[in-house]
Amino acid sequence: MSKINRRKFMKLAAVSGALATGTGASQTALAGSIKLEEGGRGFSPSTRKELKAIPTACWQCVTRDAAIGYVEDGRLKKLEGNPNSIRTLGKLCARGQAGVNQVYFPDRILYPMKRIGKRGEHKWKRISWDEALDTIAARLKPLRDAGTPELFMYQYGRHKASQAATMYDFMAAYGTKTIGNHTSVCEAAKWVGQESLWGGMYDNWDYDKTDFVVNFGSNQFETHTNHIPTAQRLIRAMVDRGVPLYTFDVRLSNTAAKSTRWLPIKPGTDGLVALAMVNVIMNEDLYRKDHFKYMRVTEDHHASVDEKIAAVKANVAKFTPEYAAQRSTVPADAIREIARGFAKANSACLVSYRGAVMHYHGADSERAMMLLAAVTNNLDRAGGRVMGVGASWNHPKSKPARVSKSLHINDGFPGEAAYPTHHVSHRVFDMIKDGHEGRPQVYWWSCYNPTYINGDNDRVAEIFKDEKLMPFLITSTITYDESSSLADIILPDVTYPERWDWEDMVSANQIAEYYIRQPLIKPLGEARCQGDVWADLAKRIGFELAWSSKEDFVRQSCEMTPGVKEAGGFEYMKKHGVWHDPDAKPNYGFFEAKADVSGDTVILDKQTGVYWDYKKAGVSKSEAESKGYLGVKGAKSAYVAQDIEGTPRRAYPPNTAFTKSGLLDFYSDNFKVKGFPAFPTYTPIPEHEKMGSDDMIMTTYKTAVHTHSRTAHCKWLVEMKHDNPAWINTQTAAARGIKNGDAIRVKSDVGEFATTAYVTEGIIPGVIAVSHSLGRKYSGVFASGKSNPMNGGAEADPDVKNIWWDTHGTHPNTAIPNWSDPISGTQRWMDTVVRVAKA
Amino acid sequence: MGTNWKKMADNASSRSHIYGLLAAVFREEPSAALVEELRSPQMKEVFGEMDIKLGQGFHSASALLVADVLAEEFTRLFLGPGRHISAHESIFAEVDGDSGSLWGATTVDVKKFIEATGLAYDPEYTGIPDHVSVEFEFMQRMSAWEADQWRQKHRGRAEYCADVQRRFLDRHLLRWLPQFMDAVITEATVPFYRSMAELSKNFVLLERASFVEEAAA
Repeated sequence: MSKINRRKFMKLAAVSGALATGTGASQTALAGSIKLEEGGRGFSPSTRKELKAIPTACWQCVTRDAAIGYVEDGRLKKLEGNPNSIRTLGKLCARGQAGVNQVYFPDRILYPMKRIGKRGEHKWKRISWDEALDTIAARLKPLRDAGTPELFMYQYGRHKASQAATMYDFMAAYGTKTIGNHTSVCEAAKWVGQESLWGGMYDNWDYDKTDFVVNFGSNQFETHTNHIPTAQRLIRAMVDRGVPLYTFDVRLSNTAAKSTRWLPIKPGTDGLVALAMVNVIMNEDLYRKDHFKYMRVTEDHHASVDEKIAAVKANVAKFTPEYAAQRSTVPADAIREIARGFAKANSACLVSYRGAVMHYHGADSERAMMLLAAVTNNLDRAGGRVMGVGASWNHPKSKPARVSKSLHINDGFPGEAAYPTHHVSHRVFDMIKDGHEGRPQVYWWSCYNPTYINGDNDRVAEIFKDEKLMPFLITSTITYDESSSLADIILPDVTYPERWDWEDMVSANQIAEYYIRQPLIKPLGEARCQGDVWADLAKRIGFELAWSSKEDFVRQSCEMTPGVKEAGGFEYMKKHGVWHDPDAKPNYGFFEAKADVSGDTVILDKQTGVYWDYKKAGVSKSEAESKGYLGVKGAKSAYVAQDIEGTPRRAYPPNTAFTKSGLLDFYSDNFKVKGFPAFPTYTPIPEHEKMGSDDMIMTTYKTAVHTHSRTAHCKWLVEMKHDNPAWINTQTAAARGIKNGDAIRVKSDVGEFATTAYVTEGIIPGVIAVSHSLGRKYSGVFASGKSNPMNGGAEADPDVKNIWWDTHGTHPNTAIPNWSDPISGTQRWMDTVVRVAKA
Repeated sequence: MGTNWKKMADNASSRSHIYGLLAAVFREEPSAALVEELRSPQMKEVFGEMDIKLGQGFHSASALLVADVLAEEFTRLFLGPGRHISAHESIFAEVDGDSGSLWGATTVDVKKFIEATGLAYDPEYTGIPDHVSVEFEFMQRMSAWEADQWRQKHRGRAEYCADVQRRFLDRHLLRWLPQFMDAVITEATVPFYRSMAELSKNFVLLERASFVEEAAA
């Protein structure tokens, strides 16, 4: 039979269909229907017994994917995605799967520790939890009783959902508002830029329906705030529907490599390229009028659409593609081509992240991105950039303290940042050193490593060591790292597979998903969940919380939250891990919703077109009318609607620190009053304008298998990536006599570090890029090569013998200043000017 | 550029039809009705193009007579009494040192594999779980389900289903089918079963090659 091939079989198939459907054989052997499950069950490879599958949620990064832990005989064996999650569709990245390492890494801190000897001498004594909490209470109670609760400062790196809610509840009941976060080193500029326009932040991209994607500075396929839910959807869009992706990045990240085209771009010019794209779209009449009525682009809130179009054209007239090309290195014809594609697509997503915004005036770059989305009507509609939707949990709230105060050390020095709405966390220690705004007597940090993650980190460490500046240091942690090594008391925290939480991360399909984290195993050693510690500590200080433990907090929340309660509450969530309203519709276009303005105390402000409730604002009608919406302090909290061409619509309520109408404030009085351009513009980075011929720009980035500081002790991850050589362009390297693999020194005005060169065409000339996450002084034997100096288990892990690598990377932060974007206060990760030479 | 959902669905559907044909042929003695279907003009044309020879009498004699002849051959080849070729994987494939017996360790493996997908054995079915026709029917059902997923644009499920089929081919069908069909080719005295054995063997080997190509792509 020599004439057999696939085509012939297909012909045979076509004519044998009737036989195949059952008329051929008199009886079928198989019955039932196929149910293939993509995950959700696990089996032991050795015993073949089914493992216990417990739904939970990841914590390796802020994406917090729903996951399933598989447990055998009380030991966590593996973590996989939860296939029932509508956010993540059962996927879990490498970081997430390595969460097992968090539990069992040998240098983990398992007992409360008290420092003996000087800070940094690494001398410790194990103490009981009672002694630890009594010691802490003895410090905190007098501050509260004296009416100075603000002298207790708490700072976190990663706290979200119920981990944050329980902490804030304790702090509110205690009375301190001196609470620091980390957002300024994350992406504060992006949020400030967005808040000035459409209110509460956290954008999302509707990849399931989009037709075109432009990406400025995001490495979404490797790492992003909502990485797994969005990356897989973007990939599916590209593969299934042929959606093009254009990525602007200084280097050839894995996202850029998978894009339709990578556009190398000079750091700090993303906003300029976005404005040039607006220039093309406006001048070629490719804009869509739909969203203009929701935009404010001149001083006049009541400008007509045609006046607005003319104003936008005028504002971007200077930013021609040629102008942008000269400054950004992106070719002018590429700017035109991509702008046209973006505008002509049925729908398009504009993505922006750290590469575009962690700069001087990064917040304004974000406003330029939003402008590009708005003039093409790609805001808040299917297929476009949309406002993120996440679960909204109800939860118990404790009675707040009678006295509640804050030290003003969270927002940078006076005048440093105009709108530090997410604080200026990287400058807390400079503020403490300065002392003008006071200093906390007790400083407690958790899920954070301040002497590692900030810029100029060696100097931060020196402030930490000074007991006159920072008298008492407490940390809740699992690792002995650069910061916890300087604490006075170390409390052993649980790892996330050992604790309860409810979770609320942004959905990728605009339908909120409610999900929980629950203990997969008994906590190791004497580790205790911080939520449990708060409840215990409160009693020792002399007040009660409305919940007795983190589990109790989660249980109450499940029973208090509509939808979750009806689905079965706490028991349902424990069993399934995830829930969403099956009747929920994707949240698009809320801004178009008509609003009821019939209330007796609702009036229309003539200047802004805002409908607002003067009674809710606490003023009389006459005062409201005479002063107007913008003239009454706090009026924005009484916002009801925006007049849009004669119809009151919800529009974009001013629900953040910015006082504005319900229009997208592209012309911003808030910016103008602080001396910044009112309309998005391009402001060159001052230091870059003064660069000498030998100077370069240093940027940083993250990789697929690490987060900023919390993964280097995970052996599976650090085996994959344990070195971070500096990316340098071939021509740039050659000009300095540097070859691939050479030892080099990178020096800035604040510090220097040694590393090796990775010479590549995958980065633009004149820029050097070094990733975060490595160069650890401590954090365990896998991360740094050094074991925890306390008693404990590095030797107990047989894999210590299998460490085949002898590099641990470098830490670029020693050469990066601790400096801020004057608009948002964001840390300017991507602006450092350096000199690079062969070592 | 993008996924050609219809093409993917049609491919899977075509595979399902072929497996269904093979399941029907090897399940039991062919009925007169099946003979009529197999010698329809369309089938005859395709068999001709594929150089599949079913014997002179297959097309000319009455369907009842052909069915009788094939029934006798089917019994001699696959049922006995006396020397025959047992159409069960456990006879040919060895697992844990166990082979050459009916209802061996392999049979259990096949049954668990099939049942893990959600299917069950029909209570009316009196055969043994790893009969060649059952394995063909399983592949028929799986590829039909895969086709349905492609039609609904459920890429994840379709690809997962294809992956399960690949695994079944690797772990089961391909481990014994070529050897079984070679035995049929050698022992058959009636062209029909010789040709059907050649067709089956070639098809399953083509399946393997296709999966290898897809994996490489």
